[in-house]
Amino acid sequence: MKTEYDVVVIGAGPAGSIAARMCAQAGLRVLLAEKRQEIGSPVRCAEAVGEETLAEFIPLDAKWIAAEVDHFSLTSSQRDTVHFPSLETTLVLERKIFDRELAHAAARAGADVVVKARAAGFIKNGTGLEGVTLIVQGVPHEVRCQIVIGADGTEAQSTRWAGLKSVPQLKDYYSAAQYLLTNVNIDQTVCQYHVGWSQAPAGYLWVFPKGNKTANVGLVIAVDPKQTRSAMDFLNAFVAQRFPASSILSQVVGGIPISNVLPEMVADGYLAIGDAAHQSDPMTAGGITNGMRGGLFAAQVAVEALQQSDTSRKFLKKYEKLWDDKFGADYRRLYRLRQAVFKIPEEKLNSMIAQMARLDAKDLTLTQTFKVFLKEYPRLIVDVLPLLLGK
Amino acid sequence: MGTPVKSAVHSSLILVDYDHCSYCGACVAVCPPDCIILHDATLLIDPEACTLCRRCIPACPTGALTLGEVA
Repeated sequence: MKTEYDVVVIGAGPAGSIAARMCAQAGLRVLLAEKRQEIGSPVRCAEAVGEETLAEFIPLDAKWIAAEVDHFSLTSSQRDTVHFPSLETTLVLERKIFDRELAHAAARAGADVVVKARAAGFIKNGTGLEGVTLIVQGVPHEVRCQIVIGADGTEAQSTRWAGLKSVPQLKDYYSAAQYLLTNVNIDQTVCQYHVGWSQAPAGYLWVFPKGNKTANVGLVIAVDPKQTRSAMDFLNAFVAQRFPASSILSQVVGGIPISNVLPEMVADGYLAIGDAAHQSDPMTAGGITNGMRGGLFAAQVAVEALQQSDTSRKFLKKYEKLWDDKFGADYRRLYRLRQAVFKIPEEKLNSMIAQMARLDAKDLTLTQTFKVFLKEYPRLIVDVLPLLLGK
Repeated sequence: MGTPVKSAVHSSLILVDYDHCSYCGACVAVCPPDCIILHDATLLIDPEACTLCRRCIPACPTGALTLGEVA
């Protein structure tokens, strides 16, 4: 580790590692700093990702693919199940290995990578950002740089130091819990979703295969101050009911912002990416490839900014534009769609899923689905139609 | 749960149950005054900076946070 870089990336998750790699490939001097002692651990993710999208970032490698999934299913709290036609192969990753591979790729591209390196604050000159103070294995280091990329996750501190409005409203925040279970007898080619507000209030559950009779079984619930049960309480109830013979191999928990991205993702000399910038999908909270895309865009703009010697907030706004062009409209729609869906009473939801379960797979078109939904819940037209029409 | 702690600032404070805390940081993100310190397997709440807004309590996935009275 040196004392001066062009770019310091805080956090070696998928978003940070991609950003570091792209900056290094462009010839910049890059430091990728991870606060934990081991990249990829602890895993805080359901680990499912679209194969084609992922292949844009890294050549697929069997050593970090736990399962290949053919399609998704949706199960109601009354246990009716709809199988959706496959759109794209989904991979369930082994994030511990995957994250390390991505950081390794950044290092191969020329970035310096360091672990047990916690960012403790920005070095500022007036409003100008001049570097980051890192505590590396307990020893403070002042690292000078021209640009900081904040990829420090949900609990990001860098966004606060940069003065960005990063504290989400509770209704726009998922509390999440997941077990890696073994001795689960499921079809290993299907990613299961489960909905029912009694099982997961304003959220959903998932059962994602991880090969060899194992599965990630988890849930998200929207945070509600009136709720007295935790995400883990709901997960324990679901597991006891559906997988009584299973054993728990590991447990992960966390929070995920689903507020749509930060109103501002840049400041002078600073860009936020991944969960730090709230880049997870505002409906499902999926965030692996979206965060990686954020990292790619941020790196692209950082490289340009340094070429033109302009690291001002104004210049870095180009990154927000790139993001908005790619995801803006979809994210605004998904954000509103989530609120509409969570208003549907559970018994209506159950009845819709029961009717869809009786349809042939070939009849499961969007139009048919919508017809079933409208019959059961006419109010949906008020909530959802404007979204479909792009308003 | 926990021994009552003296606080110069408030008559109550947020208590952390370390048998449940997984150090995930879900509470850190929703804390407006940024008074929750998370380092690896250490989670501390600065009782002077804490405004007792209690947003962290329902955000915690394991139910590790509660409001406790100061003795």
